[in-house]
Amino acid sequence: MTGFRQAQSPDAPTPHPEAPGKRTEQLSMQQALNRALDEVLAENPKAVIFGEDCGRLGGVFRITDGLQAKHGEKRVFDTPLAESGILGMSVGLAMAGFHPIPEVQFDGFAYPAVNQIICQIARMNYRSRGTLPMPITLRVPSFGGIRAPEHHGESLEALFAHVPGLKVVSPSNPHEAYHLLKYAATRPDPVIFMEPKSRYWQKGDVDFGAADAPGAGSPAGAPTGAKVMREGRHLTLIAWGAMVSRCLQVAGLAAEDGIDVEVLDLRWIKPIDADALVASVRKTRRAVVVHEAPLTSGLGAEVAQLVTQGCFDTLKAPVERVTGFDVPYPSGDLEDEYIPNIDRILFGIQRVLEYKRG
Amino acid sequence: MAEISFPLPDLGEGLIEATVLEWLVSPGEQVERNQPLVEVETTKSAVELPSPQAGKVVRIYGGPGDKINVGEPLIVFEVPDNTAGIVGTVPKEEAPKRRVRLSAVLDED
Repeated sequence: MTGFRQAQSPDAPTPHPEAPGKRTEQLSMQQALNRALDEVLAENPKAVIFGEDCGRLGGVFRITDGLQAKHGEKRVFDTPLAESGILGMSVGLAMAGFHPIPEVQFDGFAYPAVNQIICQIARMNYRSRGTLPMPITLRVPSFGGIRAPEHHGESLEALFAHVPGLKVVSPSNPHEAYHLLKYAATRPDPVIFMEPKSRYWQKGDVDFGAADAPGAGSPAGAPTGAKVMREGRHLTLIAWGAMVSRCLQVAGLAAEDGIDVEVLDLRWIKPIDADALVASVRKTRRAVVVHEAPLTSGLGAEVAQLVTQGCFDTLKAPVERVTGFDVPYPSGDLEDEYIPNIDRILFGIQRVLEYKRG
Repeated sequence: MAEISFPLPDLGEGLIEATVLEWLVSPGEQVERNQPLVEVETTKSAVELPSPQAGKVVRIYGGPGDKINVGEPLIVFEVPDNTAGIVGTVPKEEAPKRRVRLSAVLDED
């Protein structure tokens, strides 16, 4: 699940858990993202990190912890509470040859910056016929699940995926977080990097050597496209961000009932890896897509269409969607009712399993 | 473990500084949220500042009679990494619970 681990040759020195140059380490997603940003700053002198509380405090989720002390106040700094300014400044920095890595402290705070993101960042490269690329990696702690107040639990992937010129990605575990952020921060295009804040603290193995196992991902080993997190024969669960770990739990429970569920982590929400979707569902012939965002015009509709287009002749049932509801994201007390839970996903699977052609 | 610094907050009405009267906690002490940390005096009044969070006190700034400017460090807490978020709570990792069982006749055609 966490990718390629180098086979040990008899001649290789015995790896020590604390030895420098070690390839695998257990980290939380917060630590993995912090490590990735530290390395990006070290490798790219044009990379700069800024946002509300990103500097001295190290971010409200500690993602930029220690980076200002290490890399200086010109590379990592605090901004006023003005998201339009944070993203507007990113446009200017990108024009001047920098690689801005701004943070919007919470998903719901991205709305004041939508003008800068959609009207400037997304189309500057197109507008300038490629002379003003916008290499901006916008980090957005996203989705719900931490009992936070209003504007702190929103899922904006469909909104941004709809805008030509933006790329959108969301990691599901510490390994993916490290590799996807390092990859995103080297892209010449703007990337909306949606961090699942409910998964910041869970630990997992991070293999620093390669993002994906040999043969998966892109030929260069870059973390492009979707990734099969668990193989199965009967049905494909499709998810991204925090919902991937929940789908893996559901797959474990479904196995108790004799249902063999494959879990596909979309990773890139834009562009969507349609080939991986179709390859998985061609095999399983059934699909359920799961997301926290509301149902109507959510990304599940796009996924369902891509699957239907590629697998229409072999599908055993219409693609099912298990999602949040068409209401504003609720207060913390109600979020367990809103976010797709294990039983709602199992019901979705059951509806697909018992579908009979008319 | 992570350290979180709490600067002297704006005590209102455009005050730009406060004088420490007495510290009510000391380094090494575990404090709870809302526990009084320090008594400070402004040109308007003497007030007790409640702790913004739970944690272990690592450092305090200024002794009785010292002036501290608004926005300058007042106290530093040490907190476990997984409670270092400032908004919201860390979700508990628990074994998955279910009420729904799956049933299907899978024809392998």
